[in-house]
Amino acid sequence: MEALVSILVLGSTYALLAAGVVILYKASRVVNFAVGELAIVGGYVFYSAGVLWSGQSLVMAIATTAAVSVLFGVTVYVALMRPLIGQPTFVAAMVTIGLAIVLKAGIVVIWHSRSVGLNLGRTALHTYVQGGNLRLIDIVTIAAGILFFAALFVFFRYAPLGRQFRGVAENPLLASQRQVNVNLILALAWGAAVFSAALAGVLFGARSILSPQSTIIGLSGLTAALVGGLDSLRGAVIGGLLVAAATYATARLIDPVMSDAVPFVILLAVMLRSPWGIFGTQEELNRV
Amino acid sequence: MLSRSPYLRVTYAETNRLLAEPYQRILVGAIVLFVIGLPLVADSYFVHLLNLCFLAAIGAVGLNLLTGYCGQVSLGHAAFIAIGAFVTAICAARFHTPFWVAIPAACAAGAAVGLVVGLPALRFRGIYLAITTLAMHYAIVFLLTAYQANFGPSASAGISIPAPSFAGFELDGERPWYYALLIVTGLVVLFALNLARTYIGRAWIAIRDRDIAAATIGIDVTRFKLLAFVVSSVLAALAGSLGAYFTGVVTVEEFTLELAILYLAMIIVGGMGSVVGSVLGAVFMTLLPFMIDRLFAVLPEAWRFGTTTYGIQEGAVGVVIIGFLLFEPDGLIEIYRRGAIYFERWPFRYRELQSGGRR
Repeated sequence: MEALVSILVLGSTYALLAAGVVILYKASRVVNFAVGELAIVGGYVFYSAGVLWSGQSLVMAIATTAAVSVLFGVTVYVALMRPLIGQPTFVAAMVTIGLAIVLKAGIVVIWHSRSVGLNLGRTALHTYVQGGNLRLIDIVTIAAGILFFAALFVFFRYAPLGRQFRGVAENPLLASQRQVNVNLILALAWGAAVFSAALAGVLFGARSILSPQSTIIGLSGLTAALVGGLDSLRGAVIGGLLVAAATYATARLIDPVMSDAVPFVILLAVMLRSPWGIFGTQEELNRV
Repeated sequence: MLSRSPYLRVTYAETNRLLAEPYQRILVGAIVLFVIGLPLVADSYFVHLLNLCFLAAIGAVGLNLLTGYCGQVSLGHAAFIAIGAFVTAICAARFHTPFWVAIPAACAAGAAVGLVVGLPALRFRGIYLAITTLAMHYAIVFLLTAYQANFGPSASAGISIPAPSFAGFELDGERPWYYALLIVTGLVVLFALNLARTYIGRAWIAIRDRDIAAATIGIDVTRFKLLAFVVSSVLAALAGSLGAYFTGVVTVEEFTLELAILYLAMIIVGGMGSVVGSVLGAVFMTLLPFMIDRLFAVLPEAWRFGTTTYGIQEGAVGVVIIGFLLFEPDGLIEIYRRGAIYFERWPFRYRELQSGGRR
């Protein structure tokens, strides 16, 4: 029971991170190397918003973080990504690496590299037989993951804008000729991706500690996205859960120190075995 | 009789010259004299910075051959440098070999690792290859961390290695190191410039531009891709080995992913596919933190964001990467080229048709 909850909680965080990669890769073939930094900065923004609105309701902090993250994503698209349209995707990926460095430096400059734990839903609901508690935040994390992905699936499947989104993902040129506002769609994709990463960061910060070093979770998110397939949202969920299960099993059965190595070992194995992942499109590889 | 235009090339030897125009020879001569004379007037700290620039330049030239010429994006360059440094540490600190054994050993290890890391390049292009090299970076650093932890007592602070000595003469102090590194860097630059002009360099460029087209004109893509990885990692290992001797201590904490990104930044800033550009980029990126430091010392207190300059220095790398990719994607060398062409062809405004190739 405890193992299952732990894996679900971790998997939900990783899947949200992976969504921050997958949404962008689907829409624009850009691999978002800044996902870990976006997540942790999102957590810090939530922390600052909580300080700012202290005494007020939690809702204000959540709303502020959501607004800031979506706006930031749109800004990144307009300022950095749009000028690079038509360039090799490697250039855009390199820009996300630059963005990651700037964000990490931002943590140092704005928050003075302070280690921050978000005081969020730490009340214990239930104590396991083996020890350890089921906390409110665990349930919230799992629920947030399920809700976010359910919303995405419904959006892509039924909403007119979601259909336009899929059109852009498939062929931006044809989509633009059918009156689809490609810029709007891509800007929204960036907004959604940054929001997803920030959500993961907040949930991560509520269970663990935010610091410049914790941006390493981006590697887990990237791995989860690759395991599932870079252009598959379903894959992000499955990949997140698989990476979480592997990390948990290693920490429990072998050595907690070894669990740091799990993401890149899986990454290496996946890249050598089947680089397009479980649900990814196979011929994608020829286009990159 | 009309005199021949200085820009008209008549023989193959003329088109192949590295320094085709007289002004280029004067420029390079002046730079060489300047660089040789510099430590005589500069203070020891500045010479130290220049030594770091040389070390960075060797690594950056190696990365540019792989990424700029052959088009294989690598996030594993820090790991190659780490291999060079650690093999040097093993040779010098454990087996007490002289430097003329340790450095070739480091290069050989670099070649072997480069060959292994290059294998995925046969399957992937672009971003997938970058992710694979990223994983390789973490794997190599993880192994080296374990190795350093088991090296012996007090190895957690790093493995210290003795200064290289030859026939009773010990290489120590900033100025002797400056000339030693100057010679090695000069040789590496010449080697890379010439390699880029041979069939190997041309094969790499063909693979970069379109690997399928390269295969159809008879280039053995497998062989040349692997060769690019091997040459690049040998140069990286050389830089790592020299760096290990230079600092006298090897610790795995130096070789972060940030270092690999810093090297990518160097070749982006300097100019992808340009050997001279990589040197410019290496100097720029190495001096950047110190320039910021100086700038902050001049600025009023209120501009320092309350903290140390550390965060700003880190962030500047990202800003520089983004800025160059957006506004000057061909790097510093392109600024030089524009200026050179403007003055070369003045009062005409077109570029030469008979280009001597990018350098």
